[in-house]
Amino acid sequence: MTESAQQQQQQRIFERLSQAVVDMDETLAEKIATMIVHEGLDCTKAIETGLGEGMARVGKLYETGEYFIPDLLVCADALQKASDILKTGLYQYPLSKGRVVIGTIYGDTHDLGKNIVTLFMTSAGYEVLDLGKDVPARLFVDEAVKWNADIIAISTLMTTTMKNIKDVIDLLVTEKKREQFWVMLGGKPISYNFAAKIGADGYAQNAVQAVKFLDNTISKLRRY
Amino acid sequence: MPEIIFINEQKTLFVAEGTTILNAARQLGIVLETPCNGIGTCGKCKIKIGSDYFLACQKSITENIVVITENKEQENRTLKIVSGGQSFSYQLKPFISKQFDGEKTVVYGGNAVLGTEPENTSELCYGVTVDIGTTTLVVAIIDLSSGKEIASESRLNPQSAYAQDVLSRIHFASNNEGLKLLQHVLIDALNEMIGAIADKVKISTKNIYEIVYSGNTAMLHLACGINPKPLGQYPYITQIHGGEHVTESTLNISPFGVIYLPPVISAFVGPDITSGILASQLYEQKETVLFIDIGTNGEMVLAKDGCLAATSTAAGPAFEGMNITCGMRAGNGAVERFRIADDGSIDVQVIGGIRATGICGSGLLDMTGELVRTRIIGKNGRFTSQKIIDHLQEKDGKKTFFVTDEVFLTQNDVRQIQLAKGAVRSGIESLLTKMNLMKNEVNRVEIAGSFGYHLNEKSLLNIGLLPVEFEGKVKFVGNTAQSGGTAFLLNKDFRTKMIQVASEIQKIELANNEDFEKLFVASLGF
Repeated sequence: MTESAQQQQQQRIFERLSQAVVDMDETLAEKIATMIVHEGLDCTKAIETGLGEGMARVGKLYETGEYFIPDLLVCADALQKASDILKTGLYQYPLSKGRVVIGTIYGDTHDLGKNIVTLFMTSAGYEVLDLGKDVPARLFVDEAVKWNADIIAISTLMTTTMKNIKDVIDLLVTEKKREQFWVMLGGKPISYNFAAKIGADGYAQNAVQAVKFLDNTISKLRRY
Repeated sequence: MPEIIFINEQKTLFVAEGTTILNAARQLGIVLETPCNGIGTCGKCKIKIGSDYFLACQKSITENIVVITENKEQENRTLKIVSGGQSFSYQLKPFISKQFDGEKTVVYGGNAVLGTEPENTSELCYGVTVDIGTTTLVVAIIDLSSGKEIASESRLNPQSAYAQDVLSRIHFASNNEGLKLLQHVLIDALNEMIGAIADKVKISTKNIYEIVYSGNTAMLHLACGINPKPLGQYPYITQIHGGEHVTESTLNISPFGVIYLPPVISAFVGPDITSGILASQLYEQKETVLFIDIGTNGEMVLAKDGCLAATSTAAGPAFEGMNITCGMRAGNGAVERFRIADDGSIDVQVIGGIRATGICGSGLLDMTGELVRTRIIGKNGRFTSQKIIDHLQEKDGKKTFFVTDEVFLTQNDVRQIQLAKGAVRSGIESLLTKMNLMKNEVNRVEIAGSFGYHLNEKSLLNIGLLPVEFEGKVKFVGNTAQSGGTAFLLNKDFRTKMIQVASEIQKIELANNEDFEKLFVASLGF
């Protein structure tokens, strides 16, 4: 087979993987991932194009309302399983596109959205440290420093706790650590304007957007 | 500085350049719907400048403008708010009593003398119940000598102008200035309502001696001028506990009139539910009864042999027609009933019998229920791709169900309803688990709340807000915050009783339940 024919075949396999994720077919996704590893295909590319593409399509379907939270969770399962298998085929293991410390800000106990974001980030190849819910500002900063994270991701569902997020940024500024981390926000009441106003670096409307934000940011960091 | 004129309200304001129209409206106390809290996503704060429409929260003022809003007075008049609720028979034993001693009339509160009035006024003895909801206010004057309700009125809560949902309002009132403002507009509205209905039935507000405040915990913080901030943060603690009179002197009633606040159960289960428990006599039931107040918060109480457990779920504003593309309150023009006949034709009932302009909560549940029943919406909430019917068409590339050309239900709207019903359903499941009960062991389900009254059992079952095991057991009990409040007013013995009941209720905080997330996700499907 010529090189381009081989690449075409590889591309078709990645497309099937992407389709399996969109179809919420966990078993098929696992099967294709296993095959990719066995055949010695490019696993990094499989994660980036195969799973990445699938994730992007799921994101579009979610935004139009076609897919909903339970669908996201099933897709995330398929992503995770396939991603775990593909990671075993990497030369450098574990693969880490970057490190994220994530949590729901203190005062708020809602974490379903944050959990979905975590699943998507992990499947996309990021290392994620989930601090859980009702997380004090101090803990975000300390854990991010301790773990040498690239990104601090903060979530809230309630209007009443939005302003608590600013405490994390204030802490980073006072302790002269603001430049060490990118801070991104998410959650129903958050908007791009709010994120900008309190001095965060970005905002993502949903899990897929969050991964997109990471990809863009990390490429700017050029650390990996 | 540019000038903004709200033509319908006849109000004018000079503002700094760049101020949004929403902010200007808020400064003037003009109500614009803002369920998304002004982030530009819900589209409900639409206003008109010239012949163009804008979102008030996104449109900055850069030059002199004239703004046309929807007329709220009109909405107040046509709005369907239920003021009456189920009650029970009890002895007339009000806290307030009056006695003429041959010279003057002495007014007693319990055994204590509250004050005296010249001449014999003993026949003129009134009380008021007030239900302070996040969205609506209901006020009723009760004759304490006969126990009869003599007049009532309801309207939208004017605090909505400043912050629409409970959390935004807690946020707004977290500082003293905001708190004072919200308390002030509420008290003004209550005084106006009490004054207006007293006038109508020709009684003097000076002969009103006691007011019972029902309502949710957050609204009562605001009514009492107490900072609600701790309600909006885990571990969600209430600053007021009720079961006592509160000091508040700005209501225009008798100079020695008092305000009674029923026991507060928790941060999100308020005196409106205590009143509901009283009105439904939940603590006396031999049967297993589930009591649910369906509104923005779905508060619920499960009672079995005098044992009570309560919880509250954040249903969000979808049931009030908010966060829904064509959603509206239950006023003229709202689709309130919806049915799909066997031949696939649709049957729509519109409030006021006019052309449909939107869909209200009951209409939404009816529509979703029927669409699920006829499988136009699948179990996963998605519009079907197989069935071709006239009403289901693509709009901007998304499947949309059209009632008329202008009134429709989008896929995202269905998602909002799923979130709301999923919250209530998972609350029900949590309560049942907590009390070790099977669904079929529930003998009766009582749906309270002014909104609940317009619903029908079939829709609630079709969308899975209630489990199928509840079929035939559902009873709509109306505004029990009001009828229970009246019971508090008319028989003082309930006050001690309910303090005990409220303290003994098992309070269940769903945030602490590890499995809640799974349960919630599982409850999203139809």
